[in-house]
Amino acid sequence: MTTTASAPATATGRIARVTGAVVDIEFPPGNIPAMYNALHASVEASSAGLDSAVITLETAQHLGDGMIRAIALKPTDGLVRGQDVTDTGAPISVPVGDVTLGTVFDTVGNALNLPEGETLEVTERWPIHRKAPNFDQLESKTQMFETGIKSIDLLTPYVQGGKIGLFGGAGVGKTVLIQEMIYRVANNHDGVSVFAGVGERTREGWDLIEEMTESGVIEKTALVFGQMDEPPGTRLRVALSALTMAEYFRDVQSQDVLLFIDNIFRFTQAGSEVSTLLGRMPSAVGYQPNLADEMGVLQERITSTRGHSITSMQAIYVPADDYTDPAPATTFAHLDATTELSREIASRGLYPAIDPLTSTSRILDPQYVGQDHYGTAVRVKQILQRNKELQDIIAMLGVDELSEEDKITVSRARRIQQFLSQNTHLAKQFTGVDGSDVPLRDTIEGFKGICDGEFDHISEQAFFNVGGIDMVMENHHRIQKELGA
Amino acid sequence: MGAQQREYKQRIGSAQGMKKIFKAKEMVAASRISKAHARVLATTPYADALTQAIGAVATHSQEAQHPFLQADRAQSGRVAILLITADRGMTGSYSHNAIRTAEELANTLIDEGKTPVLYVVGRKGEAYFRFRNRDPHRAWAPYSEPELGSLGQDIAHTLTADLLSEDPETHLDELYLVGTRFLSRFKQAARASRLVPMQLVDAEDHVPGAFPLYEFAPDAETTLQELIPRYVESRIVNLLMQSMASEHAATQRAMQTATDNAQTQIDKFTRLANTARQAEITQEITEIVGGADALAGSGRTER
Repeated sequence: MTTTASAPATATGRIARVTGAVVDIEFPPGNIPAMYNALHASVEASSAGLDSAVITLETAQHLGDGMIRAIALKPTDGLVRGQDVTDTGAPISVPVGDVTLGTVFDTVGNALNLPEGETLEVTERWPIHRKAPNFDQLESKTQMFETGIKSIDLLTPYVQGGKIGLFGGAGVGKTVLIQEMIYRVANNHDGVSVFAGVGERTREGWDLIEEMTESGVIEKTALVFGQMDEPPGTRLRVALSALTMAEYFRDVQSQDVLLFIDNIFRFTQAGSEVSTLLGRMPSAVGYQPNLADEMGVLQERITSTRGHSITSMQAIYVPADDYTDPAPATTFAHLDATTELSREIASRGLYPAIDPLTSTSRILDPQYVGQDHYGTAVRVKQILQRNKELQDIIAMLGVDELSEEDKITVSRARRIQQFLSQNTHLAKQFTGVDGSDVPLRDTIEGFKGICDGEFDHISEQAFFNVGGIDMVMENHHRIQKELGA
Repeated sequence: MGAQQREYKQRIGSAQGMKKIFKAKEMVAASRISKAHARVLATTPYADALTQAIGAVATHSQEAQHPFLQADRAQSGRVAILLITADRGMTGSYSHNAIRTAEELANTLIDEGKTPVLYVVGRKGEAYFRFRNRDPHRAWAPYSEPELGSLGQDIAHTLTADLLSEDPETHLDELYLVGTRFLSRFKQAARASRLVPMQLVDAEDHVPGAFPLYEFAPDAETTLQELIPRYVESRIVNLLMQSMASEHAATQRAMQTATDNAQTQIDKFTRLANTARQAEITQEITEIVGGADALAGSGRTER
């Protein structure tokens, strides 16, 4: 490999085979491009309506006899067998540094939102394949990261500089929650943010850009998109492109960076799409055999080094709501906090639909968050767990059959469930109610009060979609007044 | 996936087990209703006769008096509520309805400036008030069905003593009975009624034909003194028996619903288990076929 890496950058090969996103190319002996090298192939404008374009490919396998197998980062429409392909002599690289802020990129680092005629003055480019930080450089400090969302702060406290996963099936509110987090966190964040749109809806990406432009956050945000209309090669690399930009801010500018990725599952999915085309044997549930490795290479780079952090929030789609599916299961192990969104809760209209029993965090431990916080979270979980166990009995025998203690547990559990919902900034357009930021202390006090039965006299509906307990009291007084009137 | 199937199987198993219990309880309750109802009917002639007798005494001798007949006996402001509930659960809303009726009555009494004093029969009622830190003044729990007669005697004895007591600490002004009336196999109603002070109805209104002439021995006063405690006792025993019959009817209905609900649960989980099993099969086939295809495509031959 070392010999080929030093080969002239102008090596030219010919396309031998095109199979969807995977292209086999023959290079002259001795001029074979190194692994991960970017290759360029140009497509002429044709009568079929294709625009002329340069297709970037990435070397993925060396097949022997001068043949290499590459993954295309653009649709391979218009490629012809025998056509010339040039080796750029270097891996795909993206612009890094302050120029990236306020700009939207594609995977290979082309700016997409520049006004007509303007070009980006790129001072520095980094290759997207890099090593994870060394063991001894990793951050060992643990500090909680307040979000102002009650259910998250109480049950799955986020770690400053940690990795946070938002798991959920289709349509339970992953993207909305991650955008809510961007709204809450990025707006009040001193450092820069990087957003990676991986294989999700293009419209949502556009909405996000609009919103960020409106709030002005875009000035300190770099966005990289490879949405669902892009070929698997792009979706497999776009997270790395965004991560590289984030790493520059962390390592060179020593900043605290927020990295949002929506959606990590699409990365896995793209890997699985190209895997079979590359000729690998499919593994469990048809995933690529190197699933854990691929995930590890990406996740190990998303980390905080001493003094400078990358706090990442990743949305993770759960196919068919099955958490044992290899894709989400592989991701679990890498995360500091996992927030699971539940279809059952979403269907009851309680948003954010965080499942209080399965969501957890590494730092939900008295050592990090304090005894008060930990104890309250545990009690909340106990009450909800007991309530869940009683559901079968209620379904068959009715509430009247429960013992007096259990009736109280059920009624408190219902209040807790309602109180876990919250008015969010993004839902303002639907509800007309402003979002609320609840300080951690108020959150703990509120839930503690419910567990202690201080609010047993307040009707359940007063707890729905509220911020702190003071809002519950307001609702309560309003309801009382309406009933009295 | 295998784990999912196992969980559904487990829940189907537990629902099936419970369904059997519900079904058995339903049948037991069904057979007990008629027996309990027969006992209610058996007490009726005696109770009717007693009512008539008291009516006759009161109508025929104006001078005969009894403390229970005085309309205004307010002394201590204490009002007794005798609440009859079940000992056991799985009776649907039987106990709950009776308790609610008693609570409503207690609230009305408090609004009238009186102090309700609770005499509770049955563990369910006792537990309800104890849990709310309002211990009943006296509780009879648990009790047994064959001994309703002697239980009624005991209750009547206690209540009569308190009603007649001169001590303002224990004296009771009024006595309300809260129990469940057995109207039919399909309809029972929790009701509250006042027993003391008694409201006398003219005996003539109730007996058809000529009203007989009575002669009381030794005299009307003594007869009344004897009759009234018996009357109180018979009313209480009658209500205990009606409540018992109602409890069985309520149990039967609750268990019928529970059996149906258990079946619904079984159906639901069977469907989910089937889906999970099918998904597992489909996935295994896909993997085998996909793997074989990939091997064939790679040009390698397996030994």
